[in-house]
Amino acid sequence: MEFVKLETKLPPKEYRSDLEPTWCPGCGDFGVVTALTKAFSEEQFDPTALSVVSGIGCSSRLPLWMNAFGLHTAHGRALPAAVGIRLAKPEIPTFVTAGDGDIFSIGMEHFPHAARKNFNITLVVMDNRMYALTKNQTSPTSRRGYKGSLNPYGNIEEPMNVITFAIASGATFVAQSYSGNPKHLAETIKAASEHKGFSFVNVLSPCPTFNKIDTFKYYKGRTIDINKELGHDPSDMKKALELASHALDADNPELQDAEPFKGKVPIGIFLKVEKETFEDKVAKLKEQFMAPNGEPNWDEILEKYRP
Amino acid sequence: MAFDLTIKYAGEGGEGVISAGDFTMRAASNLGYEVVTFKSFPAEIKGGYALSQVRMSDEKILSQGDGFNILVAFNGEAYEVNKPLLKPGTVLIWDGPEGGDFQPDIEELEKNGVYVYAVPMSKIAREEVGAYITKNVVAMAATFELFGFPIEVLKEEIVKKFSKKGQDIVDLNFKAVEAGVNYVRENIKKIDPYKVPGKLPKKDVIILEGNQAIALGAAVAGVKVYAAYPITPATTVGNYLSPLILKTGGFVYQSEDEISSMAVVIGASFAGVKAMTATSGPGISLMQELIGLASMTELPAVIVDVQRGGPSTGMPTKHEQADLFAAALGGHGDDQRIVIAPKNVEENFYLTIEAFNLAEKYQLPVIMLTDGSLSLRAEAIPTPDIKKIKENLVERPTLRKDNVKPEDLDKIFRYQITENGISPFFAPEESPKPYTATGLEHGENSYPRTTPKERTEMMDKRFRKIQNVEDENPHLVEWDLGDLQEGEKADLAIVAWGLTASIAQEAVKRLREKGYKIAALYPKILYPVPVKALEKLATMADKILVPEASYLGHFARFMKMFTNIPQTKIVQYNIYRGEPFIPAEIEGKALELLGEKVEA
Repeated sequence: MEFVKLETKLPPKEYRSDLEPTWCPGCGDFGVVTALTKAFSEEQFDPTALSVVSGIGCSSRLPLWMNAFGLHTAHGRALPAAVGIRLAKPEIPTFVTAGDGDIFSIGMEHFPHAARKNFNITLVVMDNRMYALTKNQTSPTSRRGYKGSLNPYGNIEEPMNVITFAIASGATFVAQSYSGNPKHLAETIKAASEHKGFSFVNVLSPCPTFNKIDTFKYYKGRTIDINKELGHDPSDMKKALELASHALDADNPELQDAEPFKGKVPIGIFLKVEKETFEDKVAKLKEQFMAPNGEPNWDEILEKYRP
Repeated sequence: MAFDLTIKYAGEGGEGVISAGDFTMRAASNLGYEVVTFKSFPAEIKGGYALSQVRMSDEKILSQGDGFNILVAFNGEAYEVNKPLLKPGTVLIWDGPEGGDFQPDIEELEKNGVYVYAVPMSKIAREEVGAYITKNVVAMAATFELFGFPIEVLKEEIVKKFSKKGQDIVDLNFKAVEAGVNYVRENIKKIDPYKVPGKLPKKDVIILEGNQAIALGAAVAGVKVYAAYPITPATTVGNYLSPLILKTGGFVYQSEDEISSMAVVIGASFAGVKAMTATSGPGISLMQELIGLASMTELPAVIVDVQRGGPSTGMPTKHEQADLFAAALGGHGDDQRIVIAPKNVEENFYLTIEAFNLAEKYQLPVIMLTDGSLSLRAEAIPTPDIKKIKENLVERPTLRKDNVKPEDLDKIFRYQITENGISPFFAPEESPKPYTATGLEHGENSYPRTTPKERTEMMDKRFRKIQNVEDENPHLVEWDLGDLQEGEKADLAIVAWGLTASIAQEAVKRLREKGYKIAALYPKILYPVPVKALEKLATMADKILVPEASYLGHFARFMKMFTNIPQTKIVQYNIYRGEPFIPAEIEGKALELLGEKVEA
């Protein structure tokens, strides 16, 4: 199923609405808006045939800043709402833009299913490693010891490795990027949107207001490009899983010299494999069973119910 | 006097009790009779008490009736459960005199005027046919022979059902039929008065079960996305729809939970297609937040709640109508929903279509409340005129690219404030102007807004949509005033909804036969509450009887809450034992109010 596209390119700003983001100055999520509009422009998507879906949270306001068909749903429910769009009009590109709390906590039951079913959705998670809109609580990706308002003594939980989880769930495109690296972010989001299937991009997106640990300063010089610097081939799933298992090593003071990342935070495409999308499978079923114009012979159908 | 016969098969789940009922129903319908079935079985896959009851008549049947004329008891438990219901003049066919697991007190039964026939169905199936699995066919064949059903009709039904499984299976069942018939011919002398009078002219009908009627209605209405999570007793709506919807270019999607189902419906509706889900009580509880989102974003959505006994897991296969509060008012904040309820299988079909029409017209979630008993009830209904239905379908007012001048676009908004509250719909690919639907309070252009003025205007706009639902849809309230003249007072008024309404109809018929003047109102729309109709009804009688199969009596409470009817006028009659009313109960309660002393 091919996406609806424009014949000519629109400038990226044409994909922005009149609304100015309500995010704090210096928020990492601004970089995601820029990268998304750039990708939309390059892909020649039609704003009247493009969908951007979100849940609740700071980052989930993103569809409101876009000139596209936006659906700002309830907390955690962006993915299944996006699935509804995929089933109704698979020819319309569908992006889900959400936060780490929204996708990996309250919306967690939806993530592995959208991934394993391989819906052609591009999921961009703006991961600031905490809840910001509710003023600083720990999220599933918060590092150990992080002080949230409900655990001021410091997080006693281990953070979730979302890269490993995405690969294990069956996502066919898994990447991590960083909003402080606009070039890498734009390239990664473009690659994700070009991928046919479930694409997950975890964007390390610092919250300058509350998170004083996972900051731009922290990430500066600390990222390592697994494709360019380590030569990782994303079609190698085994290697992808192995690398992913080290994604959180940088959190651990004892692993600062450990292979493969030596205390750095990995960015890049971990996995990219081709599998038939859910939408294409549905299209095949429809091809097989659908009556001409979707108008079946009702007399024939009713005949089966006669005594 | 009309011919009116009820046969009840009862036994252990998995013994073929349910299919015996289905065969008998099909055979009766095949002979040209009206049929209504009632089935009940436990939530477990095998074992436990199961029953299947078929009522047939040469006149229109309103409900499953008060009881049975003929009981076919497959085992001792079935006999014990039904023993109190073996009234004078009823027939008992039991698994004996040998080979079964029980021995009824024949002498006592006969003394009480019960006709008793022993048919060793287990023994015949085991020894003569050589397959215990055919016990139900032996029992059916004996029953058919005893009461004058043509055996050929049973054989036709067997061919229809089993020919796919091979001639061996058909032959085995034919052997069971022969054995059952021969046993009756050789061993039983008929002493009861029941006999099917013979073939009637064939009617233009189709046989549907409740959930099948919903699936067919949805397909006819043009549903394109059906999302659901398995839950008893709603699952079969999707089972029936799955192959059917593909023919129309739609898809049945099994989601990871009910929250997801509702989110899928919202996404699909947002994209511009008709979408629905079906669930039961626990699912409705889970969906509440998203039903509120559909209301806030003004997205059409159809939600079928096949009610079961609650709260919590409750009684998954048992009857109740206690989800009305949840359906109408279960969300947080002031949202807008429409709740409708069919009373029989025919209305299951037509109200499903109506649910889509209402959702499309008013751009909001419409919840249709049915129940477990209705989900399984089979009825022969007049063959619907699909072409005519399709011509009258309502579609949302989508702003189309080729239908609007570019210079006018700045003046058209997705949440435009209008006199009737209904705004243009925008859909991707179809409309020239994107917008972001949000659960946040918003202005006309969908941008988030919280000023007191805009909030008030937007809330008023949304509520204006449902302000006149009753006036705009008079067909959603069914009046039955009998031969009551204009201005004449009734002896009693009755209000009933859902399956209970079909049972009340039969009680009303009997009360009128006794000479009472009854004013009856069967609302198909429950929320917004049809206040005008109810208040008009209240002027016709001193008392309004409201039977409901729930502890609280949700609709009676709505009447007290939303209408000006004096509270003392409303008489609640509530049962919550997990079974539907029988007509005699409603009739009895009415007679009590009418001052007649009646025996229970």
